Amino acid sequence: MPAYVHPDVLVSTEWVAEHLSDPSVRIVESDEDRALYTQGHIPGAVEIDWAVDLQCAVVRDYIDRAAFEKLCAERGISNDTTVVFYGDKNNWWACYAFWVFKLYGHKDCRIMNGGRKRWQLDGREWSNERVSYPAASYTAQEQDGSIRALRDEVLKHQKAGKQLLDVRSPEEYRGERMHMPDYPNEGAVRGGHIPGALNVPWPMNCNDDGTFKTAKELEQLYIKELKMKRRSPTIAYCRIGERSSLTWFVLTYLLGFGNVKNYDGSWLEWGNAVRVPIAKGAEPGGGSSASSTATLHA
Amino acid sequence: MSSVRERLDELIGEFADLDAREKLELLVDFANGLAPLTADYEARKAIEDRRIHECQTPVFLWVESDGGLARLVGEVAPEAPTVKGFVAILAEAVNGRPLQQVADLSDDILDRMGLADVLGILRTRGLRAIVARVKREFAALEKAV
Repeated sequence: MPAYVHPDVLVSTEWVAEHLSDPSVRIVESDEDRALYTQGHIPGAVEIDWAVDLQCAVVRDYIDRAAFEKLCAERGISNDTTVVFYGDKNNWWACYAFWVFKLYGHKDCRIMNGGRKRWQLDGREWSNERVSYPAASYTAQEQDGSIRALRDEVLKHQKAGKQLLDVRSPEEYRGERMHMPDYPNEGAVRGGHIPGALNVPWPMNCNDDGTFKTAKELEQLYIKELKMKRRSPTIAYCRIGERSSLTWFVLTYLLGFGNVKNYDGSWLEWGNAVRVPIAKGAEPGGGSSASSTATLHA
Repeated sequence: MSSVRERLDELIGEFADLDAREKLELLVDFANGLAPLTADYEARKAIEDRRIHECQTPVFLWVESDGGLARLVGEVAPEAPTVKGFVAILAEAVNGRPLQQVADLSDDILDRMGLADVLGILRTRGLRAIVARVKREFAALEKAV
């Protein structure tokens, strides 16, 4: 039976419960609804919010290196801290925060398998106490471009016909919707997908209890059915880069893909960008849409 | 009884001077205070289309007139305490007050509470949609009465 390629990045709720007062471990919650953390979090966990803490307020980008250092220092995270991320929504935002930490070169990042859902199902304790730690000292590295794709690179990647994964819902992929089912439209002016992208909706990575599917199930999906190659460069995207962080995590750590990037600009950028090709419909190719071939050469 | 505008100003005032963490705690207090649906509304939930489709999590709202007075009843999934708290605040501001006063719910409630910065712009869209929906439906009700 195949195992995860890097099983050490995944910890169980039990492991977390045993390390609540371990000074070398910092538990970090990242949620879609940040009031969840306020209402009740794992005892001793700090919060890092994707919108308020990780996004730069004046440039559409992540906080810069200095701000990231400050963020870590304030939460008592130093360079050698084991940081364990968890959250709501099957750990989307936990994976997103994990990815940002990797972007700035943090060494020891882990995901608590199953997130808030599994912790709740296990009947474990929640706390609403305020948490603070003595400030730590943190030195971040420059952003690691090997895990982040920007638009021009995605365009080259797409033109070269390399592995592209669209992890949104089939309705969003086909261009029938410009947002997740039940979510407000956040402003893309075109619906569809990047030509050539395969559609693997993110829930295919997860079980009902929020944990990841087994290595065997994931291999069956990505390697056997979709014929994806571990060594080929791969870019994953969604709407704003959170669901694709989860797929990036699965491909990189659970399946051992060697070169996966998250396109955090995702559909909110691509669906609004001038003269980039898009495809509509269920097929990856993009031949079904005149605009998908014409716009580039117009 | 105070007007919708006055009650809303009071509620906004409760948030105004708090820091981010305190604002979230107060919001959670409101969320925890939202009464569960009575058996009557629970039964109606299954047959009436009261789901707010602009919202990311299951939110059901009933906008009704009780002899010319507003009655806002809501149910929000427990995984969305932000929305739940916000619905509780709106209910607190309008319930038992004349229908025509609901129009006084201002569109900038979140900004005046200082919650827009605490939540970030993408999260506030669904909440703004709820305010718009509540005002629209109460206005339609007022015309019909």
